[in-house]
Order: sequence, then C-alpha cells, then structure tokens
Amino acid sequence: MIWVWIALAPILGGLVYGGERVLRARMQRRLGPPFLQPFYDMFKLLDKRTLIVHAPHALLAVAHFFALWFTVAAIFLGWNLLYIVFLHLIAQMLLILAGYSVRSAYSHLGANRELLMLVAYEPILILVAVGLYLVSGSFEITGMIQKGNYLAQLPLLFAALLMIVPIKVKKSPFDVGEAHQEIVGGVEIEYSGVFYEFLYMSRFLEYLFIYSFVFIFGGESVWLGAVLVAGVFLLVNLVDNATARVRTPQMIKIIYMAAMPLAVLNLVWILR
Amino acid sequence: MLLTLILLPIATAFLILYSSTRIQYLLSAAVLGVGSFLSVSLFMSTERVSFHLPFLLNAMIIAADLVLLIYFLVQGKKFNSPKVIVLAAAQLLLYIYAEYAAPSGRSAEIVVDELSRFMFLIINIVGGIIVLYSVRYMEDESVEPYKKRHFIAAMLLFLSVMNAIVCANSLLLFFFLFEMTTLASYQLIAFRNDEISRANALRALWMNQIGGVVILAGTLVAALVLDTVMLDTLLQHSGGMLLFSVALLSMAALVKGASIPFDGWLLGAMVAPTPVSAMLHSATMVKIAPYLILKLAPVLGTTLLGGVLSITGALVFVAAAYLALSRSIFKEILGYSTVALLGLMMALAAIGTKESMMLSMVLMLFHALSKALLFLAAGVLEKQYHLKSIEEMSALVHRAPKTVGFIVLGFVSLTLPPFGLFMGKLFAITSVASLLRERPLLLIVLVSMIIGSTLLVLLYFKVSSALLSNPSDTVRTEKERIPQGFSIPLVLLSLLILFAAAGFIVIQHDVLLALFTLPLLFVFALPSMIRSMEHYDRTAIYHCGEKESFDAALVYYEPSVRIKGMIYWGFGILFVAVAFVGVLS
Repeated sequence: MIWVWIALAPILGGLVYGGERVLRARMQRRLGPPFLQPFYDMFKLLDKRTLIVHAPHALLAVAHFFALWFTVAAIFLGWNLLYIVFLHLIAQMLLILAGYSVRSAYSHLGANRELLMLVAYEPILILVAVGLYLVSGSFEITGMIQKGNYLAQLPLLFAALLMIVPIKVKKSPFDVGEAHQEIVGGVEIEYSGVFYEFLYMSRFLEYLFIYSFVFIFGGESVWLGAVLVAGVFLLVNLVDNATARVRTPQMIKIIYMAAMPLAVLNLVWILR
Repeated sequence: MLLTLILLPIATAFLILYSSTRIQYLLSAAVLGVGSFLSVSLFMSTERVSFHLPFLLNAMIIAADLVLLIYFLVQGKKFNSPKVIVLAAAQLLLYIYAEYAAPSGRSAEIVVDELSRFMFLIINIVGGIIVLYSVRYMEDESVEPYKKRHFIAAMLLFLSVMNAIVCANSLLLFFFLFEMTTLASYQLIAFRNDEISRANALRALWMNQIGGVVILAGTLVAALVLDTVMLDTLLQHSGGMLLFSVALLSMAALVKGASIPFDGWLLGAMVAPTPVSAMLHSATMVKIAPYLILKLAPVLGTTLLGGVLSITGALVFVAAAYLALSRSIFKEILGYSTVALLGLMMALAAIGTKESMMLSMVLMLFHALSKALLFLAAGVLEKQYHLKSIEEMSALVHRAPKTVGFIVLGFVSLTLPPFGLFMGKLFAITSVASLLRERPLLLIVLVSMIIGSTLLVLLYFKVSSALLSNPSDTVRTEKERIPQGFSIPLVLLSLLILFAAAGFIVIQHDVLLALFTLPLLFVFALPSMIRSMEHYDRTAIYHCGEKESFDAALVYYEPSVRIKGMIYWGFGILFVAVAFVGVLS
C-alpha cells in the first residue's frame, strides 16, 4: 500500500499544487485555473519541442527530480528524519549545480538564490529534527509518530518551522526563488519541454516534503497532523496574498534573527 | 618499523640533495610506498610500543633545542622583529628552567598508542603523495636547482618530524618537535624570499612561538607541582594543578590549529609554494591541534575546561566559515575552511566521549585527503594556468575540465553525502544530540555545527559557481592535459577519498546509509546518458534581449569592521579564558 502512495507521490503533490492555485485565486476573488491545471500543463510540455543547452545540464534536472522523489519516499517509509534532511540537501545541490552549469546570468542568479535559501532553511530543518528527537527519543519518523504532544513541548520550534515553509514553497514574503521580475526564470530558465516538466514536478514533491514536517508535529494523532497541515496551508497562502517580497539578505537576516533564536530557545527550554 | 618511519625520510632527504629529477621521482615514490605500507601494517597491529631514548640522544636533543631557540633569536634580530626576539628569549629561559626542573624520567619518552598509529596513516600516505607531487611542482619553479632539491629534502625531513611528534610522550621532546614544525613552517613560507613571504613567515613564527611558550609553561606546571613531564603519567594524576597544565597545553593546540585570533598566520602561509600549503597548512602539521586535544581528552571529559574548549572550537568553526565568504584568493578560501574544520575537530575531541573522539579522528582523516586534493589541484591551476583568484576562474571548466573536476570532487567530498566528512558531521550531530540531556551546554556546539556546515556548503558552491558554467555543448570543450607528475597524485587522492568513504559506510552496518551512495551511480552513469541525449536539439542561452552575453558576478559577504573586531576580541577573550578556567578548576 505504502509503495502505491510513493509511486503516486508526484500526482499527489500535483493535486496539492492545483488546489493551492485555486485557493489563492479565490482569496483574491478570482476564479483561477482549473483544479487539474498542473496535469494539463504536463501534457502541453510533453508535446513541445525540447531544446537543451548541454546534456549534463538537462540531466541534472532529472536527477534532481528523482532525488526528491526518493526523499519523499523515505518520508513515507518513516526513515531517519536527519537522513531525510540530508537526502533533500543532495537533491537541492543537484539543482544548484544545474543552475551554475550554464553560462546564463539568470540561471546563475537563480542558483545563487537557491543556495542562500538553503542556508536559511537547512539549519532550522536540522534543529526541528533534533527537537523532535529530544522529545520522542528517536530520529526515525516511525518512532516520532508514536508519541504525541509535540505542540505543547515544541511550540517555538513549530513557529520556526512555520517561518521557513514559505521559503520552501516559494511564497511571499520569502519567494525570492521565484521572483520573475528580478531573475526571470531563475534556475529553470534554460529548460524546456520534457526537462522543464521534471522541474515542474519537483515543485510538487517539495510541497509534500515540507508539509510532512508539519504533519509530524501532530504526533500519534493523524487528525491533529491533518488539521495542522490544513491550517498551515491556509495560513501560508493568506500571508502570501497579504505581504510583499523581502530581499534575499533580509530573508536570511529574518530567519537567523527570529526563527533561529526561537528554535534554540525552545531546545533550551526542554533541556532545562 | 617505527624507526624506519622516522629514519627513512631523513635518509631519503640526504639522497635527494644529490640526485637528478628522475631519481627524485623514484625516491619520493619509494618513500610513499614504504611509508604507506609500514603505516598500514602498524595500524593493523594492536600492541602498545614504548621505549626510552638513550642518554646520548637525549643530550643531543637538548643541544639541538637550544640551537634552534638561539636561531629564532638571531632571525628575530636579523629581520628586526621584537615579537620574535621576546618570545624566543622567553622560551629559552623557560626551556632551560624546565630541563633543570624536570624530574628524571621514570616512564618511556616514546609511546606508540592507537592514536599515534592512526596519525601515521595520515602523515605517511597523504604526506607521501604530497612529496611526490612536489617533485613535479618544483620543476616549474623559477629558482636555482639546488634550492629545488633543498625544498624536497625539507618536505621529507618534515615528514619524519611529524612521525616523531605523534609518538612523543615526554613533554620536552614534544616541545622540541613542536618547535621543529614551527621552524619548517617558517623556512618554507619564506621559501620564495620576497617581502610578503618574509613578513608572513615572521608572523607565523611569532604566533607559533606563543604555542611554544604555553607548552613550556604547561610543562613547568606539570614538572613543579605534579612531578612529571611524561604525558601518560601526567594524565593519570587528578586534581591539583593538573587541569591548569592541560589548559596551557590545549592553548598550544589552539595556536597551532590557527584558531581565531591566530588565523592570521595560516592565511599568510598561503604565499608559500602549494605543496607546503597542502602538507603543513592543511593535511598534516595543523592536525597537531586536534591530535593534542585528543591526547588530553581523557582528563577533559565533563570538566568545565572541556566545555570551554569544545565551545571555542565550535564557534571557530562558524566564524572561520563566515570569514571565508569574503575572500577571493582560492588558497585563502581553502585556508579559512581548514581553520573552520580544525575548530570542529577540536570541539569534538574536547567533548571527550569515546564516540565523539572517534568522529574527530574520522574528520581528521577525510579532511586531510580532501584538502590535500584541493590544494594540489590549486597548484595545478597556479602552475599550468597561472590562476590564483577565483575572479579569474570564470568558466574554467571550458579550459580545464579535468582540474575543475578534481576541485568539484574535493568540494563535494567536504560537504555532501556519501563522503566521509559529511558522514562524520552527520554522526557528530546525532552523537551530540544524544548527549544534550546530560550536558545542555553542548547545545552551543550543536547549533554551531549545524550553522557552520551550511555556511561551508554556501562557501564551496559559491566558489564552484565561478568554475562551472559551460557554454552550449555545440562549442567544443578544449582537451586538457595535466602533466603526469601532477595527475598521478591527484588520481591517487581521489581514489583514496572514494574508497575510504565506501569503507567507512560499510563498517557502519547501516543499510540506509548505503542509500546515500545513490547519487554516485548517477555520476557514473552520466557518460552513457549524455550519449543518449544527442537527438535533442541544442539552443543558445536566453539573454533577455541583451546583445552582449554577461556573467553573473561572484558574491561575497564581508562583515563590517566593527563585527570583525568583535569576533577577534571575543575569541581573544575565550583564548585567555581557557587558562583562567584551568586555574580555577
């Protein structure tokens, strides 16, 4: 059963993404695209003529997608959360190397930003893993979701996680990775056709990745986890509609000055 | 076997002084082969070897030490450096007093334990490869032939000093060898003998002499209060002034490891020829710092001193990684990241649990391999392409695909799974996290470790952004030829990195970890996959309507003068605090 879910993960993520676009549109009193738009896009992209800059560049996008899929599979299988964070790191580095591997200014700018985003959220993700470990006594997700009551013990850490969710799903105020006006397409700019589709699908998997962290905070209660995910999903989109983008250095400053102390404070509090 | 390890490089050094280039290659390859074989077979044996030095040899060492200190005095006078003179004079007085106060030895001066055997591995394998490389490197250096031979001989002599220092049990012998490494550093930094080299060499000299002074102070405390100058007997004592003596010794480690505020000497040392940077200033000599802390770790344990040391090391890890972000000279970037990782190794060693000490050793080994690879590749760039600054390296992958490949492998092996250094950091996070309940102070170490690792990822991949960036593959990439004298050491190191990483994963008995190796499969499958991509049409990149193509510039992150000042003062205070904590506890 679990393997079916793993196989369907990109489609699952696609539904989340499609749903999000509808939700955001409704928040702005627009009708928005159809719910299944991501899949229509897929057929359109597969139909297009594929142009590539050079082979390794195109292949790195494919590798990025599969590494992310693997990461999500590891989450579904309930493996060590710390390992999962680092599997995700590999996936991101593949994308960043892809961005650097072409002589395109926009691609470089995009990869720079991806790198800086990584610097912002990576420490928080690891601290979340450590925090959950300290409460549950296990780094394995299977162990973590057998205990409960994380929210009561790790409220500040959860707040820190909330602050990095927008970075990962590229939502305001931290959507520096997707600032069309500044970096055009960023890392994605030199891709087309089927290879762009791989990048497009990776974004669906990113949704599953980051929202799984939120879900784990529900602990043994699946319902609490689901409510948390739904709540955070709504909140992130609400904030996205209500705020403007900050600059990249400001984003890093905010994460290091606000989210990091919150996370550390929480750890100090449970260690006392 | 031990004697061979120490004497063989010395003997070869003398032979090299009178041999042609061909013979030099043969001799250095022989040293590498024999040294590696001996160190591996020593590593396999488990017995603890210890022996006394004959009286005559001891007397000779004392004489040599006096000569060495007087030489430093003379150098200080010759180049008019008051700091060198004062420190050398202080050491001379302290040394004479320490020799006078030292109780006659009851235990052996030379002890080979597990840690020494482990260090032999690093010194002889990595060091041997670097010596082999330096033969080729010297061919292109524009100095007189006799100076080239002297250079290689000096590298070999240095190998035997390193082999000796990791099994020295007498603190006075340790001091002598410590000063010998300082001498090697001083001489080899000044090798090119221009103004900058001389100034940087003198700075390295006086900073390292601070290390000498604190070692002597620690020895004196041990000799006068605890009545011993042997490390093993010293560490069996408890209470009293033991921790003060240990604190002074670990301050020497901080100096040798170029921890901030002493980072200046290691950065300055980068003007030396590249094999020197590889051997002394990243792969072997600076490893004395974590080595010394590892030696002292049994008494550090849960003491406040151990806590302060591990916090200092961890903070150095973050601060040095941060400072490196503002540098543009390739070797200086490598230098700062060495400072950072040495800090991490010292932090883990000072925690003092069995697991953290093991991880510190693992980091030492993998760091030596990766950094040696990076420095040797930097040497190739310097000699073949005359490049030093990363600003000039834009799109280098087009001109030098192989060298860039080695450099990127070096970067990846320092930060990403499945390589040893990453694994070390991963286990360190788990290990420190499991200690948090009993020792909450370690939270500082944990957070620094996490932030520092991310900063290093930023650093290395920021640099590789300049190296990579290929035009469309319709443009032909030039064929690169690396001379064999360079490529053989590089390939050897790369293979060692791969095999050591694989071995390290296998001994963990963790199936999940093996999954980290999957990205490697991708790398190996790449050539065949590239061939299958030929039917896709190629395109030029998108310039957004600009006619001229332009490169995105490298980014730097420079701390303001005030913040920099705060960092240096803060670490200066921490350095002094180590001594205070030692006195108080």
